Amino acid sequence: MFEHVFIANRGEIAARVARTCHRLGIEATVSSGDYLDVEAQVAQALAAGAQAVHPGYGFLSENPTFARAVADAGLTWIGPPPEAMEAMARKDHAREIAVAAGVPVVPRGEDAAKNWNGPVLVKAAAGGGGKGMRVVREEGELEEAKAAAAREARSAFGDDTLLIEKYVERGRHIEVQVMADAHGDAIHLWERDCSTQRRHQKVLEEAPAPTISAEVRAVVTSSAVALTKQVGYRNAGTVEFLLDVDTDEVYFLEMNTRLQVEHPVTEMITGLDLVEIQLRVAAGEPLPVAQEDVTVTGHAIEARVYAEDSFGGFLPQAGTATYVAWPTEVRVDEDLESGQVVSTAYDPMLGKVIAHGASREEARLALVDALDATAILGLITNTGFLRALVASEEFRDATIDTAWLDRNEVPAPDPGPAREAAAWEVFRARREEHGPFASDGFRLGADPAPVVIDLDEPVRLDGPEPRDRPAADVRSDRVEVVHQGQRFVFQRPDVFGDHAVDLGDGAITSPMPGTVLDVRVADGDRVEAGQVLVVLEAMKMELSLKAPFDGTVSGLAASTGAQVALGATLLQVEGDDDE
Amino acid sequence: MKELVDDLRGRLATARQGGSEAARKKHTDRGKLLVRDRVDRLLDPGSPFLELSPLAAHDMYGELGTSPVPSAGVVTGIGRVQGREVVVVANDATVKGGTYYPMTVKKHLRAQTIASDNHLPCVYLVDSGGAFLPMQDEVFPDREHFGRIFFNQANLSARGIPQIASVMGSCTAGGAYVPAMSDETVIVRNQGTIFLGGPPLVKAATGEVVTAEELGGGDVHARTSGVVDHLAEDDAHALAIVRSIVGTLPRPGAAPWPVEPVEEPHEDPSTLYDVVPADTRTPYDVREVIRRVVDGSRFHEFKKLYGDTLVTGFAHIWGHPVGIVANNGILFSESALKGAHFIELCNQRGIPLVFLQNITGFMVGREYENGGIAKDGAKLVTAVACSVVPKFTVVIGGSFGAGNYGMCGRAYDPRFLWMWPNARISVMGGEQAASVLATVAGKPDDEDFKAPIREQYETQGSPYYASARLWDDGIIDPADTRRVLGMGLAAAANAPVPAPSYGVFRM
Repeated sequence: MFEHVFIANRGEIAARVARTCHRLGIEATVSSGDYLDVEAQVAQALAAGAQAVHPGYGFLSENPTFARAVADAGLTWIGPPPEAMEAMARKDHAREIAVAAGVPVVPRGEDAAKNWNGPVLVKAAAGGGGKGMRVVREEGELEEAKAAAAREARSAFGDDTLLIEKYVERGRHIEVQVMADAHGDAIHLWERDCSTQRRHQKVLEEAPAPTISAEVRAVVTSSAVALTKQVGYRNAGTVEFLLDVDTDEVYFLEMNTRLQVEHPVTEMITGLDLVEIQLRVAAGEPLPVAQEDVTVTGHAIEARVYAEDSFGGFLPQAGTATYVAWPTEVRVDEDLESGQVVSTAYDPMLGKVIAHGASREEARLALVDALDATAILGLITNTGFLRALVASEEFRDATIDTAWLDRNEVPAPDPGPAREAAAWEVFRARREEHGPFASDGFRLGADPAPVVIDLDEPVRLDGPEPRDRPAADVRSDRVEVVHQGQRFVFQRPDVFGDHAVDLGDGAITSPMPGTVLDVRVADGDRVEAGQVLVVLEAMKMELSLKAPFDGTVSGLAASTGAQVALGATLLQVEGDDDE
Repeated sequence: MKELVDDLRGRLATARQGGSEAARKKHTDRGKLLVRDRVDRLLDPGSPFLELSPLAAHDMYGELGTSPVPSAGVVTGIGRVQGREVVVVANDATVKGGTYYPMTVKKHLRAQTIASDNHLPCVYLVDSGGAFLPMQDEVFPDREHFGRIFFNQANLSARGIPQIASVMGSCTAGGAYVPAMSDETVIVRNQGTIFLGGPPLVKAATGEVVTAEELGGGDVHARTSGVVDHLAEDDAHALAIVRSIVGTLPRPGAAPWPVEPVEEPHEDPSTLYDVVPADTRTPYDVREVIRRVVDGSRFHEFKKLYGDTLVTGFAHIWGHPVGIVANNGILFSESALKGAHFIELCNQRGIPLVFLQNITGFMVGREYENGGIAKDGAKLVTAVACSVVPKFTVVIGGSFGAGNYGMCGRAYDPRFLWMWPNARISVMGGEQAASVLATVAGKPDDEDFKAPIREQYETQGSPYYASARLWDDGIIDPADTRRVLGMGLAAAANAPVPAPSYGVFRM
């Protein structure tokens, strides 16, 4: 076994791999940067004195050039042979290998396209991650879709070879974890279901697959092992299948030649440490477990926590995670702590929350609790979205197919309970706990007065005090609070803010005697608060007179070049709500 | 006792409604908050409010049994704003337009006295048409009448006790001086008005036709006249500005006495209902009351074996040290001497005094008069009168005759005086008064003569009769005694305690 492993990665996966290394008494060095630079990674590995390189996932993990460079430097590559990586990297090649191994594949779409029997899926042979993919539902759109997909594929992968396949309208994403050693042995570690996706990005993953029949399970697991052997695979890999919900047919999609983000769910149900097996087979050991000993216990579900605003167009978020709390009752693979800066330079994934239970429902409920306990302040994450999704009837009933999130919108959570929780935090921060003036609303010979907290709207706290306290940051200008995973920010009123005192009655008067330089509005014009209406020159200064609120201009009495006296009314802004 | 408390709560609930339903609706329809809602929004969220004399003017100014001027049309009390105690004086415009009846004036002045004694900032939420004109002779001219309000404002301000006003409605004639005399003033736009003479008076006097808003509205005073300092959009905004103003005031210093950690009484205060007989003539041990009021139910009793009709001793209430003087029977010379000695101790040590008053009077009869009970009583009265430490009086039973003086009645300037609903107060008992008057009139056995006297004493001896006339600061639920005393002590801790000095004790 190795004594020192270099991890050519960062974040939670680097921490994950290092964890197993340390458990096995192996020293681990994590890359210090330049994650996409082959030479830099090899140089770092050599400098660290490592004997082997674990690529994690993403970055260079599926790059055969990197695998070869590692080997050429005299280090061991903890992953499949570069030849297998290359063979599987191209969807057209992979398909051919699958056919040769007797693995069911999606029927070719060319025929369907020729004698239109759509819909069909146009995709880049070299592609991945949804780039260069087009669903074509109408025959007339086919040529344009092919051209567009080719353009995208060329720019993304430098290769515009396209595949046309029959498109499965309602599919489930089923994938099989495989492991192979250098002695020709290959096993599967059962399947995972990653159907909860958004634009082909996995959101929730679980094992075992909740909806498949024993027959389908047998097909996918045996096919996966057959394919692994066919391609001369070693180490960890994942064989992906598409399950047509309407016909119950499964089709081979592709093989991922690395450890997957969602590998923990497999670990949770099998009790195996996949990184340990990777290390052992890379070191030349035979598979430490026989196929018949790989058993399934219970159910596991993983949720990927991203820095993204799921209820605001899924835009990636950056900022400082001022406060981070991960759940303690479940497995969490993460690399984010309070005070850490999250940038958009890397993958937006902050961590993974993985719940295990005796049944799927038990695991699901545990995951709901775990996401409730996940609190990140300072930036928006998708935790509230994940929580809503995991708690949904659709996920409970396992009816979410791979395009469900693209067809359906998860409703944004009601801010009401969060607002109340925020108000309680404001109250707790300032209330008198003890003494005769304790903040219990005491009134002589009467019921206590209600507690009212002013946030963006007044909140009346008349229920019992909640026992659980949310993660919250109470400031004088705003309150930030996490409720059921979702971060909310409630503004607090500013007594002397410009909403009030300066409003006046809408009469725009000259604050000094002076000359009108410019009149930018006319009677009847709609103006917005803050819009410049008239520019004056007075006492060698230019003064911009602005609209105090939204409204309509009337009574314009200023003209360019005119002299105006102190206090002269130049025009009137009629507020929208004036009677 | 429970029945008496339920009766009290019922009367308070009625008084707290303020004016008629129509008046309240008219008020809220204008976007204005009701007076107690204004107080709630002014105070810190959840702050207790020690409302003063909520039953002022109870059963006054109308047919017996009606109270047309509930709470005398003004809400006063002590609550916390920005973590500090302030005195609030808030007009209730739903009660006769917030005009000042005699009891309104008295209640307003009493609140200012409390602010003065305890160095508490004053917040005036003004919404008043000024003096109640039909009763101008009882409101306007005398020393303790309307003008005293502004005299007090000037002198409180002079002593560094902040005066803050928020004009939330009318502020006419003399009332205009409440904001004008304040240190810092807020007005609500299109709602608050300040003028010496309203539009009708202006028209009558000069023929000028002008609207209230043009004459003295928020924009006029905030932008042109400078009578106010802040312009608010509505009630809630005005109250938020007042809160912000209070936040700029210098913080009060430390309490003049050390405050210990608090320990709840080991006896639940609500069990007072069981230990105190509703009939004041039934004797009981006042230590049962003390045990239910003081921290940890611990009482360091002073001179327990001497003059035992007066119980004296040291304890803590909400961590504040107190000297307790409590009646446990009629006052004799020994009890009076013991009381005077103990009060001197408290003044020497700077410890606030709490009087639990339940006294039918000093002992009478030849033996006692010849023994000089008058001069011993005088020593007690002198000690009480000259005390410099804060005094708190709770009338937990009878308050009769000179006993009222020796036990720090209203005339002896306790910082606060509260009554329990079972209390009785009069110069002597109704029966005794009837007998005395019948004897003087030479009709010692004339029941027809005595009955109306007894009835008069019965009516006037009621705590509600007393509270209506501001002889106290409110009738309280006995179970709230500890809480109310604690708030009083916390308020009193804002003012320093001067060095003691006494008049001549007759020896």
